[in-house]
Amino acid sequence: MSGSGGHDTTIRGWAVDPGTGHEGAAVLEVRDGVLERLVWLSGADAEGLTPGAALILPGLIDLHAHFREPGNEDAETVATGLAAAAHGGFTTVALMPNTTPALDEPSVLGRVLAAAGASGSPVRVLAHGAVTTGRKGETLSAMGELADAGVVGFSDDGAPVRSATVLRNALAYAGALGIPIVDHPEDLSLTEGAEASEGYVATVLGLKGWPAAGEAGSVARSLAVLADVVRDVPGARLHLTHVSTASSLEHVRAAKAAGLPVTCDITPHHLALADEWIAGARRWAWEALDGDGRARDPWADGALVARPYDTSLRVNPPLRSAQDAAACRAALRDGTADAIATDHAPHTEVDKHVEFGWAANGISGIETALSVVLAAVAAGELPLATAVALLTTGPARVLGARGGTAPGLRAGEPADLVVVDASGAWTPSAASLVSKGKNTPLLGRVLPGVVRLVLAGGRLAYAGD
Amino acid sequence: MSAGSERPEGAIEAPAAAPAHWAHRHLLDVDALTRPDIELVMRTADEMHDVLERPIPKVPALRGLGVTILFYEASTRTRVSFEVAAKNLSADVVNIAAASSSVSKGESLVDTVRTVEALGADMLVIRHSVSGAPYLAAEIFSGSVLNGGDGWHAHPSQALLDLYTLRSRLPGGLLEGRKVVILGDVLHSRVARSNVWTLTAMGADLWICGPSTLLRGFEAWAARGAAGRRFTVTSDAGAALQDADAVMALRIQKERMASGLLPSLREYAARYGLTNERLRAARPDAIVMHPGPMNEGVEIAADVAAGPRSMVTDQVHNGVAVRMALLYLLAGTRRTEAGA
Ligand SMILES: [Zn+2]
Repeated sequence: MSGSGGHDTTIRGWAVDPGTGHEGAAVLEVRDGVLERLVWLSGADAEGLTPGAALILPGLIDLHAHFREPGNEDAETVATGLAAAAHGGFTTVALMPNTTPALDEPSVLGRVLAAAGASGSPVRVLAHGAVTTGRKGETLSAMGELADAGVVGFSDDGAPVRSATVLRNALAYAGALGIPIVDHPEDLSLTEGAEASEGYVATVLGLKGWPAAGEAGSVARSLAVLADVVRDVPGARLHLTHVSTASSLEHVRAAKAAGLPVTCDITPHHLALADEWIAGARRWAWEALDGDGRARDPWADGALVARPYDTSLRVNPPLRSAQDAAACRAALRDGTADAIATDHAPHTEVDKHVEFGWAANGISGIETALSVVLAAVAAGELPLATAVALLTTGPARVLGARGGTAPGLRAGEPADLVVVDASGAWTPSAASLVSKGKNTPLLGRVLPGVVRLVLAGGRLAYAGD
Repeated sequence: MSAGSERPEGAIEAPAAAPAHWAHRHLLDVDALTRPDIELVMRTADEMHDVLERPIPKVPALRGLGVTILFYEASTRTRVSFEVAAKNLSADVVNIAAASSSVSKGESLVDTVRTVEALGADMLVIRHSVSGAPYLAAEIFSGSVLNGGDGWHAHPSQALLDLYTLRSRLPGGLLEGRKVVILGDVLHSRVARSNVWTLTAMGADLWICGPSTLLRGFEAWAARGAAGRRFTVTSDAGAALQDADAVMALRIQKERMASGLLPSLREYAARYGLTNERLRAARPDAIVMHPGPMNEGVEIAADVAAGPRSMVTDQVHNGVAVRMALLYLLAGTRRTEAGA
């Protein structure tokens, strides 16, 4: 490691490069931060280099993270968020604008970028601007000025763009700027006061239900608006974030088949956890299905092992049924979903150590995302190459040219990569998580995949033990 | 959800033999109670019922123990029932009527429970408007927590007193195959949810009936037959009441109209109100129950509430005996732990 930031190292392992589609044993030489040589190995040279040992991946990209600065630095700062991102293998993060004040004009972006600069982190910070002023859903934010300042998307995340008229104008205006609208799909008239996904688990637990139609209805509306807008503004693009239900994904699948410019992402928790966790189950969502693909009954099969109503599981959209989680993984496999995004949502103890229905929504997830995805890979639920693409080239395509250099392992360019010990395991704890947000249901759970080294733009972002 | 710190696996396939003793430190839900657990509560409640027949209905079982009754929701009957039960057992009782909401800046539940414990409480009875709140209290409190009703989720002592009342009127105290109907607003009812667990555990032929807007989610529950238990869900009051052995009417609240779940109280009363005419479909000896407080003329006709089928005053009386039994059994686990 060199003090000036340029890094020197030689890495041997199983490299996965979704940029080229190459995957195999390889040796990478990094000199002064530049990936000087990448040699694919075979025969005796490749001995011991398997996908189960050291994985070498392009640096991961997160489309959706909340770093809480400015306004709620007790929950997270840009500096702690970037350190957490690096610990999770992410070298690029796109931050959500629901700060206080909201990122609805360039000066707030300036504060965020200044904090990132001051942190010294080499992790690249991108930002979404708000769709509407103050995220109030009424008038368009300073979209053109924000575009000039470099935002990569517009989102009122935390809430949907409620008015279809505002959404229509936003899609058109941002479309002309070449920037997507990143919508949080939710029909608030169906979800007011909701605590858990409507269905069996919520009913037994006496939690107010968040119906699937609360998401699918909003998705359908937004797609209908998009179809109108795109006829006049061919550059209009819609990205649906944290899609969580089978029915929503059917709408997206049909819209893509019809050629609409729509993309979507799914969170690690929606693909790997199910609502039964709120009742106290702690098995992966793919373990919660019976042979016919139906969700098993945790009250009947001894799966309830933890105390129920753990507020680290309170999240919006809520954890869904095991069938919905299976539909999420199917959508990730077949290309209906374009990316895995963390929706990293750190909260303070004060906001989480309360009654379930009063707890803040959100899971601190940027440090566990890769491990959760690797658990799905290990279970045969996602092919490795697909999983890596969904964390690298997939989100890069959503961001387009504004996202910067496409991810990949390319000789002659600054090294931007993550080395993961796929045979290793770790246990998230309040101490081992770098984020200020300890609000994850995975605390104390042994997870596969230990991040060993992260280089971002040729500089050392994280080095494990 | 466990009634205690251990969650017995396959709690539903109850072993034939009754447990030697009560093993649950807390009573937060009824879903993990085995049939022998429930029978132990019933037997203990029988003994407490005998105590209540004495000239001075008081025993020293909980002498020296502090019982704090912490209610975040207004409720007279349940609070007083617990208070009388604890005093009959010679406990030192403290009542706290707390106000709290998600937005109020009042003391948090966590802080309040710590304070209650520091003030010497050994047992905590908690009532809260948010489902699951007693689990948070139990995580902090070092004594025993008894759920006095949480949100829409559970009301264990009510379900157990309902069961006790039913058994007192059924031949042999047996519910196997007996048709029991829960009628009304089950969506918002913790009483209904807890009764699903206890009544199915005892083998009753349970029917859940109400307007379809107030049954939301219960079809999904019945379809899964949680833990192998079965019940029937219908919006047809006639079908539900046909040959019923017992009917439990639930309180209907005016807010349900404002939120668009029902057209009017008048229409509710006409279609689902428990009247003598509607009860003609039930068995001649069918009994009627209500957890209270009642809206007479809405979910239950005044002449039914005051009529010979009505078990409402029995429920109140039995409630004290069942709550004495629960406090006694929970205190027993404390003594066992302390002595171990
Ligand atoms: Zn969101």
